[in-house]
Amino acid sequence: MTMGAADRLQAINALDFDRPVRIMNVCGGHERSISAAGLRAVLPGNVELVPGPGCPVCICPEEDVYEAIQLALHEDITLVAFGDMLRVPVNAPKREPRSLEQAKAAGADIRPIASPIDAVRIAEEDPSRPVVFFAAGFETTTAPVASMLAEGAPDNLLVLLSGRLTWPAVALLLDSDTPGFDALIAPGHVSTVMGPEEWEFVVDKHDIPAAVAGFTSVSLLAAMYSVLRQLKEERHFLDNCYPEVVRAGGNVEARRQLEQVMDVVDANWRGIGVIPRSGFALREAYAAHDARQRFRSYADESRKRVGEMPPGCDCAKVVLGKIYPNQCRLYGAACTPRKPIGPCMVSDEGACRIWWSAGYRDNEWEGDKKGRAVG
Amino acid sequence: MCLAVPMRITKIDGFQCTCEARGIEREVSLFMLQDETLAPGDHILVHVGYAIQKVSEQDAADSWALFDEMLATEA
Ligand code: SF4
Repeated sequence: MTMGAADRLQAINALDFDRPVRIMNVCGGHERSISAAGLRAVLPGNVELVPGPGCPVCICPEEDVYEAIQLALHEDITLVAFGDMLRVPVNAPKREPRSLEQAKAAGADIRPIASPIDAVRIAEEDPSRPVVFFAAGFETTTAPVASMLAEGAPDNLLVLLSGRLTWPAVALLLDSDTPGFDALIAPGHVSTVMGPEEWEFVVDKHDIPAAVAGFTSVSLLAAMYSVLRQLKEERHFLDNCYPEVVRAGGNVEARRQLEQVMDVVDANWRGIGVIPRSGFALREAYAAHDARQRFRSYADESRKRVGEMPPGCDCAKVVLGKIYPNQCRLYGAACTPRKPIGPCMVSDEGACRIWWSAGYRDNEWEGDKKGRAVG
Repeated sequence: MCLAVPMRITKIDGFQCTCEARGIEREVSLFMLQDETLAPGDHILVHVGYAIQKVSEQDAADSWALFDEMLATEA
């Protein structure tokens, strides 16, 4: 660890915090940095770091992944998606493909991409063939999709959009009886695009300290120190601990393009339900690029466990910070990155995957179960 | 998916540019940064092939040190 981090840590210890405090982060990148640097082990024992809603792949509606699979199987199209989406499991009937990866193995034309630029390039290769871009992601990822359309995408490029906003999930938690955290580390790159102001409601409406953080240990510890000191001094505000990148108002041009191309609508989150004004939908002016308008819907409400997580998977609770990844009974047992059961173990941004990669191997659910009378 | 990486611009062609970081080259869109004045040698924060912000050389170096750290722990 650099000197900066050691200094920050010392300052946190010097606060001598005398009660338990839970700090939530809402970004897979933050959780990854925290886990990789081992920050949990070096912070005072009464400071808990809770991973919250920071994985867009994990909350992408099961119905949307199912739709993408069916489009790829039954329409004469090429389906492109960020690589993370390919292994996300749906609850399809036996013998039917349960992920885009399986649909691809069954012969569907499905290709992983790393950028909207790849989608444009693939569409340009054969203008006569429709290319459907299944685009899931939070603001940082959805803004480039909007930008792609604002700049002018090929006619044969269609978008199956599953974009989500991060803050409404935090609002959902804070509006509930059990938010489960005392302070918030706000996401650095979401704030880069949308502006730190998106997080002011946490302080103004809920009187919870918040700090925007970057991704180095120093920046994360600076944000943790900030919210802890705010709690200690009982003076809460939104601190920007990533000012070199996060500027007031965010990326104004990116926000303008988002606004031009997409509406903010009520949206479904897998395992969680509909959260008001938490999703993006293409505006009428871009209907010609909307896969939902071009193709029939393959929604099948008769499917078993429609919309839910896979059986036994507690990913929705993990996403909301209700349990830690290793409190899922399947963590490390039936579910590992090599054989993932749920999206939180599939995605690089899923807390289960991040914890496993960082070396957390104990399963607390098992430990707990042993101590309890199982009835 | 929300983690952006800093890269150095080597060539600009309209709203497209070529960037480099740690010996890797990428085509990057500058469409979301059209208000910024950018030139080869500048550093930008790139996410899914789109520049989301201009950053200083120092910030770029700090972030790369972090990625090296993380890659080392995951290897
Ligand atoms: S460990 Fe696997 S099954 Fe359990 S919550 Fe995480 S992804 Fe779901």
